[in-house]
Amino acid sequence: MHEMKISALCSLPVLLAAAVTALAGTVQNTNPSNGLSNWQSENTRFSLQLLQLMPDNVRAVYSNKGFPPALVEEMAGYCMFGSVIRNLADEPISYDVADWRAITADGVRHPLRTKTEWLKIWQGQGVDFGWSILPAAQTLEVGDWGQGFTTVKLPHGTRFDLDYSWRQHGKTFHAILEGLQCAPEQLPIPPHKP
Amino acid sequence: MAPVKPPRPAPDFSLPDMDGKVHKRSDYSGKVVLLNFWATWCPPCRRELPSMERLHLNLKGKPFQVLACDQQEDGDTVFAFTGQLDPAPTFPVLLDRKSAVSKAYGVPGLPTTFLIDKTGQIAYRAVGGREFDHPAIRALIDELMAA
Repeated sequence: MHEMKISALCSLPVLLAAAVTALAGTVQNTNPSNGLSNWQSENTRFSLQLLQLMPDNVRAVYSNKGFPPALVEEMAGYCMFGSVIRNLADEPISYDVADWRAITADGVRHPLRTKTEWLKIWQGQGVDFGWSILPAAQTLEVGDWGQGFTTVKLPHGTRFDLDYSWRQHGKTFHAILEGLQCAPEQLPIPPHKP
Repeated sequence: MAPVKPPRPAPDFSLPDMDGKVHKRSDYSGKVVLLNFWATWCPPCRRELPSMERLHLNLKGKPFQVLACDQQEDGDTVFAFTGQLDPAPTFPVLLDRKSAVSKAYGVPGLPTTFLIDKTGQIAYRAVGGREFDHPAIRALIDELMAA
């Protein structure tokens, strides 16, 4: 895997309402066989990794679960990532995806669509499947980790930074994953044809 | 695995395994139960299942039971998957087709695993995959079996 270190964020702690900006960094890896990227936070006690998810991957997952075709297409139109979260602290941490924002180059802060919001949409269309999206909010005990999809309504290929947060010991911490990009419509490196 | 403070009662349930035999949580009162929530499409769930089988085999004859509770999949799908595992599970694999049991336990995501003590109280919880035959987890189970 090709590894590229993106500039580390070294903000001073923000002295606002007990909010703290973590000294975080972002490491990007690109799979040389297909050109897809993933990003991993560094130096945070709440670790986040995001992996680009192609629209066709999304279609495959939800078609296979029997979702209505129109709903599958709605989901494939979202910018989606496979996500891995880990509590690396020595105490419980909690998070709420509703507080996270995707910041595009124009400075707009886009809320993510949470699992809670998706479940309402799914249930409204008769789908009783309740898994696959990252839990919207939870407390992770020491050593706990999890995974699931994160979703934001942005066009495929859009570049953005992700401001994500968590609570630990009564304080809110923020970190930024920098230089993210929604997966393109087609693989950056097409599959090899013999 | 993290302690559940204070321990809370493990909801009872009644679920079929892949052979159609119905299992209740209360069938295992007097035993320590490792109750795992999983699905075949979940990579960490797939990775941790063999460690549960090793634990199950190592603790045969002791007051201990592994129950793996698949979420929202049919028996054919689960059977096709478990047949590929090495070692394949010999403990009951239950089918929670509507996720009613995972909801009762407040499972946030898959995999999530609970250790239930001999009196039916949830004592420990793990969110995310683990190696369940790791000595640290084995020590917790030994402690609960001895209580």
